[in-house]
Order: sequence, then C-alpha cells, then structure tokens
Amino acid sequence: MENKQQSLKAYKMKQKLIPYLFLAPNLLIFSIFIILPAIIGLYYSFTNVDLLHMDEFSFIGLQNYIRLLSDKEFLAALWNTIKLVVVTVPIIFVSAMAVAMLIIQPLRAKGFFRATYYWPVMISAIVVGIIWNWILGGQFSLFNTLITQLGFARSDTFNNPNFAWWSIVLAIVWSRTGYYMIIFMAALLSIPESLYEAADMDGASKTQKFMFITYPSLRAARLMVFILVTMEVFKTYPIVVRLTGGGPMNTTTYTVQYIYETAFTNQYAVGYASAMSMILLLFVTVLTAFNFFLNKGGTD
Amino acid sequence: MKKASIYQYIFAIILVLFFLGPVIYIISSSFKTNNELFSAMPTFFPRSFTLKNYLEAIQRDEYYIFRYIANSFIVAVSSTFLAIVINTMAGYALAKFKFKGATFIMMVILSTIMLPLEVIMVPIFSVLRTLGMYNSLLALIIPAAATPTGIFLMRQYLVTIPDDLLESARIDGASEWKIFTRIVVPNAKPAIATLAIFSFMWRWNDYIWPLIAISDKTKYTLQLAIANMTGEFGTDYSSILATSAISMIPMLIVFLVFQKQFIQGTVNSGMKG
Repeated sequence: MENKQQSLKAYKMKQKLIPYLFLAPNLLIFSIFIILPAIIGLYYSFTNVDLLHMDEFSFIGLQNYIRLLSDKEFLAALWNTIKLVVVTVPIIFVSAMAVAMLIIQPLRAKGFFRATYYWPVMISAIVVGIIWNWILGGQFSLFNTLITQLGFARSDTFNNPNFAWWSIVLAIVWSRTGYYMIIFMAALLSIPESLYEAADMDGASKTQKFMFITYPSLRAARLMVFILVTMEVFKTYPIVVRLTGGGPMNTTTYTVQYIYETAFTNQYAVGYASAMSMILLLFVTVLTAFNFFLNKGGTD
Repeated sequence: MKKASIYQYIFAIILVLFFLGPVIYIISSSFKTNNELFSAMPTFFPRSFTLKNYLEAIQRDEYYIFRYIANSFIVAVSSTFLAIVINTMAGYALAKFKFKGATFIMMVILSTIMLPLEVIMVPIFSVLRTLGMYNSLLALIIPAAATPTGIFLMRQYLVTIPDDLLESARIDGASEWKIFTRIVVPNAKPAIATLAIFSFMWRWNDYIWPLIAISDKTKYTLQLAIANMTGEFGTDYSSILATSAISMIPMLIVFLVFQKQFIQGTVNSGMKG
C-alpha cells in the first residue's frame, strides 16, 4: 500500500515535468536568440560599445538617446519610415479588401485568379526589388520605353527622389496585397448570407450593404491586417536593397537600413544603433496598441 | 447562383496582368541577349532566345552559384525540420497540459511576435559571435526554427485532439514520448504541412538572418548572393536576372503543389516568420 502510494507520487511528479520537457528545446532557442538579445540590446543602448571592440565599453547613460534627438540623418530615416507607413498601409488595406471582394464573386477560374494574385507573396523581397528595378529603372527600362511612346522624354528614373520613393510603395503593394487579400477573403466568406438576404428584402442599396453589413463584419480581420501591415512596413529594408539601395540621397533610406549601416558598415556604433532599435520598437509597439484601441473603440 | 458581370472579369484580368506581368517579364528577360537587354526598344519577350545569361552566372569568377543553391537548400530544409519538431512539441505542451507558468510562457511567446528581428539584429550578432556560430550555416538553421507563429499554429491545432485519445493511451501504459510520436504527430499532419511550407518559404527567401550571420562568401545563401552581386561596370544585370529566375523555381514548385495549404495557412493566423 505504502509502496503503491509512493510510486503514484513519483508518477505524478514525472507527469508534472513532462510539459516542461516538451517545451524545453523551443524555450532554450527562444531564450538564447530572442529574449537574451532583446535584453542585451536594451543594455547596449546605454553604452558606447562598438563593433571593433565589443568586449571593452563603458556605460554612458542616456547619451545615445540624447544624441539621437539631434541626429538629422536618423530623424530623416525615421520620418521617412513614418511617411511610408502612413502612405502604404492604407493602400494595401484598401486594395486587399477590394481584391478580396472581387475574388469572392462567382467568377469562372476563380482558383486561377486567386493563385495569380497570391503568387508575388512567394517571391523574396530581394527579387521583388530586382523585378521592379528592372522594369522601372535605367534609361532602357520597360517603363522608359512606354513613356516615350506616350511622348515623354526618357528620364533617369531612380535619380528622381519622388519616383524612387513611390517605386518602393508600388513594390511593397505589389508583393503584399495577395497575402492580405486572403485574410479578408476568409472573413468575407464567413459573413452569413442571410444578412444580405434580409437587407435585400428591405431594399438596401449596394453601398448600404457594404456600409452596414460587410464593413462592420470585417472588424477582426481589419484589425489583424492593420497591425500586420503596419509592423511589416515599419521593417522595410530588404525590398530596398536591390530596388533603390536607399537612394537617391537617402530619400528611400528607412530606419532598419540606417540602423544596420550605423552598426555594421558606417560607424560600427553598436551601442548607438541599439538605441535606435529601441526607438523603432517603441514606435511599432505604440502604433500596434493604437490600432488595437482604435478598433476596440468601435465595439457594439 | 448569380453570375459575375463582364466588368468583374475585366477587372480580374487587369489584376492578372499587374501581378503576373512583372514576374513573366523578368523571366523572359533572363533569356535575352545582351543587345536586347539594353536595347532602346525592349520587347516583352526575347526576339532571339539565349541561355547565355545562365551560363555566365554559372561561370562567373568568385560566384559559386551551385554552392549558394546548396546552402539555401541545406538551411531551408534543416531549419524546417527542426521547426516542425520543436514547435510541435511546444505546441503540444501548451495545448494539452495544465502546468504552472503555461499562461506566462504563452504570453511571452505571443508578445515576441510584436518584436521584430530587425530590432534585435545588432545584439543577435554579438550572441552569435560569442557562441562561435558567426559565419556558420547553423546560425541560419537553429535560431529561426523557434518561431512564435509556429508554436501558436501548432497549439491552436493540437487543442482539437480529443483528451480521451491521450488518456486511454496513458492507461494502456504508453510512454509520453510514444504518445507524442504515435498519436499527436499523426493527428497534427495538416498543421505540420502548413508549418513546413511556410517555414521553407521564410528560410528560402530570408535576407536579414544571412545578412547578420554570414560574411564568408562560400557560406552565402542564394538571396544574400543576389543582394551582394556587383559587376565590374555597375550592375551586372544578365547574371542577376538569371540567378533571380533560378531562385524562384523552388518556390514556384512548392506553390503549385501546396497552394491550398498556403491559402489555408494565411487564413489561420496571418503567418509571419
């Protein structure tokens, strides 16, 4: 009897350990490569550590952050990123919703259309940059040929800051719309048909149906798309590498590229770059929370 | 059943041109001769078809294209395998066990979805260096395998496995590991398939991890190689176009075969690497 109870106790102890053992490999990797770097990053941001002497550095308090406030290039990159977010997010949001509404119509070859719109999602950001650089850039690009047909002169497209800036927007929209289209599509398909039938009986117009049924029903999907797109556009960098390289004159240099270059290629200022990372993180978090509350605010 | 209007078809076809056109154009350009690549009147399709760009990309000095392809494959396949193993295990623990700290662990994992890799790339570099993983493919395989979305996806799916199934195996005296491999894994196949194809895509297309972790040319992945490719006289478009086209092939195959899983995976959670 005694023995049995003891072995039951041992069994229960073992059962308690089991979930931790299943979690262990993941949590180990997770702690070393995500949690630890996040803490180190925060710590670095208060030091003057540089890439060439990573073992000897000193604590300098808030100096990095104070320096940031008057670093014109960093502020320009940050402002540039904010502008990109403000412009690109609504475009992706609206176009993904519009394409999703089209794709749920009773079209023939619906699967083909859906797959085609989704396909750019599968292409790496580097190659997306190459694709649009090849189409838009250079004197002999497809774009330049087309505008000569319309009677305009060839231009050195990527030396024009506005052109370069909007090319980035175009490339992001092109490569990401298909992804968010799917999220909206799923949400649209889950709206009960009976709501529309009832609206039809009351003689509602198409606009009214969209305003009072479709749009409100998409609340959860809207929130998710908004948060995901915002985070994604805030991190814009790989797509720039082969499209504009950040030029001309840094007009398409966004925060992540600036942080990377500060730490690894220009100043080797790891501590300073870490402070920039913290600012970027702050922006991402605040904007996500803002989106979240904005959407929560509209609950019924 | 209502029918779609002609306007909807026109709109749908315009969108096909918008989304597919650029991809076809870059592939068709990769088969053009140098004369055509830089002609004042480029055509959409090559007038004289050539494989010269591909041969040049293969024979370029200091450009080990087969090595890059192999590196990308090694990274994508092994990281995906590791991701499946550890995320299924973790997802199972979070879905089917009640234990102290479960909520806390879940919250930490979910909150790191909001913590972009780009924000911690500088300290990650010093962690990799300290561990001796800098300039090693392991740095591309191991860290990225523990993705928060992977755990989340597996957990959501594994919650649906009936408890009775696990309990009766326990009563029969099966070990926990056996229950995991014989009952949990076979029942999780659809979720594992989704995780596998997304993980493969993330790793194959990844740029930021290789950028931080690799500087040795022979360790480059395909993406890093394309990104760093420079020519003697400015950009060497012929090799870049050919290599880009090559880099899209595996994704095209994966997409054609697993299209449904991609669509479903996107629906499920907004899969983000």
